[in-house]
Amino acid sequence: MWTMERRAPTSGLRRSRTVTTPRLGELFNGYLNTERPHAGAYDEMFSTDNGVRSAYRALYESVAPSQVNELNARSEALGRAFVDQGITFSLSGQERPFPLDLIPRIITAAEWSKLEKGIVQRVRALEMFLADIYGDAQIVRDGVLPRRLITSCEHFHREAAGIIPPNGVRIHVSGVDLVRDEQGTFRVLEDNLRCPSGVSYVMENRRTMARVFPDLFARHRVRAVGDYAVHLLRALRNAAAPNAADPNVVVLTPGLGNSAYFEHSLLARQMGVELVEGRDLFCRDNFVYLRTTEGERQVDVIYRRIDDDYLDPVHFRPDSVLGIAGLVNAARAGNVVVANAVGNGVADDKLVYTYLPEILQYYLGEKPLLPNVDTFRCWLSDERAHVLDKLDELVVKPVEGSGGYGIVFGPDATVRELNSLRKRIKNNPRGWIAQPVVQLSTVPTKVGDKLAPRHVDLRPFAVNDGNFIFVLPGGLTRVALPEGSLIVNSSQGGGSKDTWVLAAKSSTQERELAEPGLAGPSDMEVAAAEQGPELTTSQQQQQQQ
Amino acid sequence: MLARNAESLYWIGRYVERADDTARILDVSVHQLLEDATVDPDATSRQLLAVLGIKPPAGADQFDVFSLTELVAYNKENPSSIVSSVNSARENTRGAREVVSTEMWECLNAMWNAVAERQTYARTMGPHAFFSFVEERAAMFAGLADSTMSRDDGWRFLVLGRSVERVDMIVRLLLARVGDKASSPGWVTVLRSAGAHDTYLRTYRGALDASRVVQFLLLDRLFPRSVFHALRQAESCLEQLENQPSVRVGARAEALRLLGKARSELEFLRPHDLLDDLPKRLAALQKTVREVGEAVSQQYFHVAPWVAWTNTEVG
Amino acid sequence: MSWRVRVVHTTGYRYEAPVVQSYNEARLTPRGDRKQNVVVSRVETTPATRAYRYTDYWGTEVTSFDLHAPHKELQVVASSVVETSAEIEPVTTGTWGDVRAENIVDRYTEFLEPTLYTPRHRELLAVARDLKKGQSPSGAVLAASQWVSEQLTYQPGSTGVHSSAVDAWHERKGVCQDFAHLTLVLLRGMGIPSRYVSGYLHTKKDGALRETVRGESHAWIEAWTGGWWGYDPTNAIPVGPRHVWVALGRDYADVAPLKGIYSGGAATALEVTVDITRLA
Repeated sequence: MWTMERRAPTSGLRRSRTVTTPRLGELFNGYLNTERPHAGAYDEMFSTDNGVRSAYRALYESVAPSQVNELNARSEALGRAFVDQGITFSLSGQERPFPLDLIPRIITAAEWSKLEKGIVQRVRALEMFLADIYGDAQIVRDGVLPRRLITSCEHFHREAAGIIPPNGVRIHVSGVDLVRDEQGTFRVLEDNLRCPSGVSYVMENRRTMARVFPDLFARHRVRAVGDYAVHLLRALRNAAAPNAADPNVVVLTPGLGNSAYFEHSLLARQMGVELVEGRDLFCRDNFVYLRTTEGERQVDVIYRRIDDDYLDPVHFRPDSVLGIAGLVNAARAGNVVVANAVGNGVADDKLVYTYLPEILQYYLGEKPLLPNVDTFRCWLSDERAHVLDKLDELVVKPVEGSGGYGIVFGPDATVRELNSLRKRIKNNPRGWIAQPVVQLSTVPTKVGDKLAPRHVDLRPFAVNDGNFIFVLPGGLTRVALPEGSLIVNSSQGGGSKDTWVLAAKSSTQERELAEPGLAGPSDMEVAAAEQGPELTTSQQQQQQQ
Repeated sequence: MLARNAESLYWIGRYVERADDTARILDVSVHQLLEDATVDPDATSRQLLAVLGIKPPAGADQFDVFSLTELVAYNKENPSSIVSSVNSARENTRGAREVVSTEMWECLNAMWNAVAERQTYARTMGPHAFFSFVEERAAMFAGLADSTMSRDDGWRFLVLGRSVERVDMIVRLLLARVGDKASSPGWVTVLRSAGAHDTYLRTYRGALDASRVVQFLLLDRLFPRSVFHALRQAESCLEQLENQPSVRVGARAEALRLLGKARSELEFLRPHDLLDDLPKRLAALQKTVREVGEAVSQQYFHVAPWVAWTNTEVG
Repeated sequence: MSWRVRVVHTTGYRYEAPVVQSYNEARLTPRGDRKQNVVVSRVETTPATRAYRYTDYWGTEVTSFDLHAPHKELQVVASSVVETSAEIEPVTTGTWGDVRAENIVDRYTEFLEPTLYTPRHRELLAVARDLKKGQSPSGAVLAASQWVSEQLTYQPGSTGVHSSAVDAWHERKGVCQDFAHLTLVLLRGMGIPSRYVSGYLHTKKDGALRETVRGESHAWIEAWTGGWWGYDPTNAIPVGPRHVWVALGRDYADVAPLKGIYSGGAATALEVTVDITRLA
């Protein structure tokens, strides 16, 4: 047994570019075992020759010598902090904390800079795409995209045609799901342009980690994520119609029962705006009002966290009790701004996603800075034939699905499941895409008393305020906790990691790390705190009698 | 402020006060039952339930200290139990996070999280441990509210709720004793329940009789748990809320009118007339509390219930 | 030759109990284009409301309005004066090759796909195949319309607002909406882009001037056979000066004249009346 474990790390030993083979501490015992089901995946801490990558070196050096019980204690502290603060998501009516792993995921300044540019490029192009699709659809008229691609999309809402946001922004907030393939290349798995959630965990993970691991932060230069709400509020205020001098912004939530309620509440609090439910608002003559104790107050911008389908019973589901009747026409009349805009789903459709290179080329004349994951489109007959042929090797996804629901992993599926899938694809080719299985990258994760490799993805968040697209440095790293699992969704038993973007030396990011403080107390004359009259010794002695 | 949040704050105020007061009342009753072998546990328990407005479950046996505690403190099915009040307070806070401070939320959330554990502990160590936990947390909540909330409308709704509930609970407490003799030791219980024992003794130099106890709890202008004080406080909250330029005429002043009427009736009452028609007076106060609640809700909490839409289509 | 007609369309709801809130959209304004000229048009409601107008995805003018005071009845009156088109000839330029050309199929994809009202149906597909045999595309449009007008008996009340083409076909009766839907199923089955048109019909062939007739809401179809042209399968007649067109879409759902939501008890539709007067 002993030799087996010795051999694993040494077997790969060649001329190490990074550091010499680490004598892996007890915690990492068996981490580099080549027999593990994660073989082939890109490990973010250890390079293929088992050296520790430079970004993780300081972290490794702090963590590796730790005692198991110390790690357990810190891990418990993380969990407790979440429960005390009520940081939970609801799953089938039950409040649960979203497990936070204690090993952070680290992204270097250079890697981040590439990601940031790639995300900004996507958002810019997708904004132009949405404006076009809900306007003249020039991209279709020019024959770049088939019209059928758009009109067959479930989230293409004809009701949104002709709604022009005052500052032109439709994607106020986006979340781009990225994975790192076997070579370590970041690839886009999907865009989320409707109500992307998770940013509250980015902020809370950081706050909690900083409490529990102050020493780690002292050794790293991690870029801050705490000011997200400032960017969001600016974007929302900028989105208001120009005649709203002091725009009244609200956050619209489906209510306490929603899985992301904590996030809605956190964002409202951090922005200092009202968190409202549909019943707190009403429309009259195409203006939206808030019911307050002093009567009604007009609302200018609604950051909604409700799906389009439930937003306005006049135009969408008439049985919706979460929405606001008349909202769509109020937005059309320009009296209120709905953020994100109605109908954004057409741009994050998984089939439309496969046309992103064409979209980028058409609007920006640029090549994608972040590649997509290779995708086969079942609605094209030759690609469908390939998919049906290789069904047992591919990951097949419904184009409308989210949260990991409906995805079929070919290699894990039974013959019966594959046959049923084959039938469903033939019946509705537009409804499916397929991708090769990407072995997501791994990061050490606490499993029992050990650190073991677990697959992760990354969802950075971008905020478009109309002048500038801000990408929050970091994002939500979700981790699949079961060994070998590639599904990271919180609804499927995933956890998360704090995501550290390291600051480049001597860059503009320096400023955000070292913001000038107010005048310190040393600059001022400060008197010592006043004290009450002291009891004299004799008094005290007498009192003791 | 948002009407729904105002309503939540009002109810947070009420539920926390209710949990606190119920714990105090129950604490003293449990002690009395344990310490005084002469009292009939079943009759005393039933009297307490009646005062708290709790219907004993159908087919309930003879009550004793433990079944009483179970029902009034821990029972989740009983909407007036301490645990239910804590749940409701926390749930209201969860829905109004942006108008309460993080400290207040974490105080209630930690309380809520700890309830199960404290309950288990109290089952072995005696119910007092649970009651003092609730009282401490309620005090902490009040302190945090005091030190972290702006004195804006939100604060006023919170204090309004607390004051209204306090009037209600003190009245219930007195109702429990209206039948007692003037020299009954039960009156000490009342003072203890209200957290008024020490203050009373200092005010009346130790003389203990029914008329003074009632006087103290109903009329004292300085003691914060007296009915008069709580009414005055509620009234002042409403006055400040009312003082809005956008407020128009109508039934809006109803709550204020009701409170003012109740307060002035107490204010100009001859102290020695107090005991004469005490039950009637207490019943009237309870009615006032109920009506104030309705008036406040009508005036400020125009929260629409969910609207069920019907869609129509014609040619 | 074209006519000038006045159309007064009255519709609405009556509620069991007073309704406090209601939000509505009316699609009752005739459209102006090369064939039809709208002289004047307005939509009025009782109780009075502040209307908001916009043009929807299909180009239809929509009047939206909401009510917030208790009311037991909502009446909507749309009146307009329109110069109608002369009789429309079929467009015969398109061959089957033109109709099936990839760019046409893609451009008119929405008018080729099945909808809730015009589902794909095996038997009707077979009928469509038979009807188009030996026909040019425009000939097939006429043949399909003819077939529908022979198959269905016009009978008001036989179907409801939500009946599909297949429902009507099984019943072998229906109203203009069903005639149009059934024709669309056949045409789309043949691969001919075709769309639903809503409007009004003057019921008298040689309408006397100044005589007001009780007309009706009407529906017919337009097909693309090298160009768009309309035909009225209910009466098996070309679309002409007696037709006033209001809206077009994939099926009835895209053009419903008055729809909305309200909160409260049950509602019944008011009697719909359409008074049409030929002015010139």
